Amino acid sequence: MEGVRRTIDAVWRMESAKIVATLTGMLGDVGLAEELAQDALVSALEQWPESGVPDNPGAWLTAVAKRRAVDHIRRSERLERKHEQIAYELGQRPEDADRDDVLRLMFLSCHPVLPTEARVALTLRLLGGLTAAEIARAFLVGEQVIVQRIAGAKRTLAEERVPFELPDGAELAERLSSVLGVIYLIFNEGYSATSGDDLMRPELCLEALRLGRLLAELAPREAEVHGLVALMELQASRSAARTGPSGEPVQLHEQNRGRWDQLLVRRGFTAMLRAREAGGPPGPYLLQAVIAVCHAQARTAADTDWPRIASLYEALSRLLPTPVVRLNHAVALGMAYGPEAGLAVADALTADAALRDYHLLPSVRGDLLLRLGRREEARREFRRAASLTRNVAERAFLSHRADEITAPDAPALTLGQAARDFLDRAGLDAATVRSYGQTLRRLRLSLGDELPAASLTADQVALVFRTAWGEAAAKTWNRHRSALRSFCAWASLDDLAAGLDRRAESRTRTESIDPALLDELWDLPGISLRERTLWRLLHESAARVTAVLSLNVEDLDLDDRRARAGGTWVTWRSGTAALLPRLVAGRARGPLFLADRRPGPARRPAAADLCPETGRGRLSYERAEYLFKRATKPLDPAGDGYTLRRLKPRD
Amino acid sequence: MRYLMTTKATDSVPDEKLFAEMATFVEELTAAGVLLATGGLEAGGVRVTSWGDEITVTDGPFAEAKEAVAGFALVEVRSKEEAIELTRRFRKIVGDGESVIQQVFGP
Repeated sequence: MEGVRRTIDAVWRMESAKIVATLTGMLGDVGLAEELAQDALVSALEQWPESGVPDNPGAWLTAVAKRRAVDHIRRSERLERKHEQIAYELGQRPEDADRDDVLRLMFLSCHPVLPTEARVALTLRLLGGLTAAEIARAFLVGEQVIVQRIAGAKRTLAEERVPFELPDGAELAERLSSVLGVIYLIFNEGYSATSGDDLMRPELCLEALRLGRLLAELAPREAEVHGLVALMELQASRSAARTGPSGEPVQLHEQNRGRWDQLLVRRGFTAMLRAREAGGPPGPYLLQAVIAVCHAQARTAADTDWPRIASLYEALSRLLPTPVVRLNHAVALGMAYGPEAGLAVADALTADAALRDYHLLPSVRGDLLLRLGRREEARREFRRAASLTRNVAERAFLSHRADEITAPDAPALTLGQAARDFLDRAGLDAATVRSYGQTLRRLRLSLGDELPAASLTADQVALVFRTAWGEAAAKTWNRHRSALRSFCAWASLDDLAAGLDRRAESRTRTESIDPALLDELWDLPGISLRERTLWRLLHESAARVTAVLSLNVEDLDLDDRRARAGGTWVTWRSGTAALLPRLVAGRARGPLFLADRRPGPARRPAAADLCPETGRGRLSYERAEYLFKRATKPLDPAGDGYTLRRLKPRD
Repeated sequence: MRYLMTTKATDSVPDEKLFAEMATFVEELTAAGVLLATGGLEAGGVRVTSWGDEITVTDGPFAEAKEAVAGFALVEVRSKEEAIELTRRFRKIVGDGESVIQQVFGP
């Protein structure tokens, strides 16, 4: 019984992509296709334990699923046209149509209308045959999150009427790069797990490799596809060597090359040759693969052709000018031409806001500083890198590197200790502690806890301020500036705010969202009823966000379209009136806008903020603001998304 | 996880149909990203035995030819059941005989 169940699981994983792809081709709707394919799986679960596993289980599943699809088409309304479709489906499809369907399914799952995380989840689900629970485990999120993400993605695809087809011409390059991006993202999440206890989640690497190898067979003329496969095969070949006995990371130049998987290395080389045969100018994946080939070809770390790798990174940084690529360039320069050369590039990156919390920057700088004999600075950088990583194994490794460098004899008052003492003083109220704490936390993260407070310079502080809050509102800037001045005065430090001008706070009112965009906003797909109602109400009432969020069901006067909130009236018009009854949905009391789930026992809010019927708490300002920002990102020309306050119309 | 599937020699002579079906099967597995390596092995081979300080090298063929491995496939799959399912498909193509699947550890 259990054995049959496991066999069904295995067959499903092997066949589901093909089945779902074929059905999507027949039905034109991936959501429906997956549903019917799942029906076939359920039939197998019901029948096989009794009847035994059929001779050709894959064909059995496919046949049952297809029959369900045909039944569905017959039942649906436009019979004639559909019959033609069935005839086409069953009779005249060319031999390789199934393979093309799988490729179409890949393009569909990675469609640019979907947010990246939805592309990843949908791809693992439809192409990898993974369950929501398995995907959730791999990404360390709740299963419900993945279920919703996948459902939302299917809804978006349906609403946007994304066709099930192979892109061509100008569109192909963009769509292909999205598919490659998703596969590499899955690989990287497995290869360098960004959080959690393990450094690697091999099942994700394997899944990405499978998807890449599959894509290479389906789209053999695309050089970048083979480039990506080569890159992943070569990186995967080092999996065993890149962690030590207790799970700690081992850096490339210290790895035991005998533990590199020569089978994967050779597969990487083969993929590389296929990429070369496909021709064309080298793209970013191919260049990264060439770099990986350089490493794989070196018999020992000392044999590595670093000047060539440095020049490859330089070429790559022209195609892909990301801070991470530039950081790797710095590493290569450091190896090829000495630590000063690397440090020059790495130092320039400390002003880059994107790398502000990226632990590898201080880790690389620590390496280079150590090689230059600047031990104390190196130690602080390793310590800082350890505080920035979310991966447990990596944090332990970086702390260890810091510990290996002996501390100076007379421990001076460190920035971390000074900041703690400053905040622990008696007489500070909670709000001030929180506000000062934000400023000091940023300084500590950027400069390191170990830095002697007395050695702080105005230039260092100015750099942190510009990187962190250069783009922030004047009010925010000034708040951090005064926190810093207060800290300096307390710690008897020089005025470190000397290089920081107080900024003029404009008194202009928050600008309303362009009315032309509002129509688009109301029509945004995939927005829940709660959000739609909240946004309409904020717009129609012009009331404060806190007042609207504080509304209770019992305060509402639906007939007169108004409600009492904090001593004023909130009034609305027809748009809100049409939505409100559905949101209230028979509730008599409690917060109008409810959070998505019940609060945990530790964070139980006041009784007034709890719904007596559902037990859920009141929707928080932060959450509402976050959802609005996320939803309006595509509308905002600046790409940031809007704040709820901006829903208030112009006077 | 990786599995090595080895197949023992049989007396039957493969015909064209079998070759064609095998070619399709291998192509399919390669396309699915599953098959890492595969090959056939010569009958007999050379046997190298060590006993104490002594190393003996003997040329084949050997008496127990029936038990000898004639071919192998190294596959990368997500579960033992997937490896079994693949072997089941393989056995359906080649007919009577025996294959062994073993998980590969390392490198």
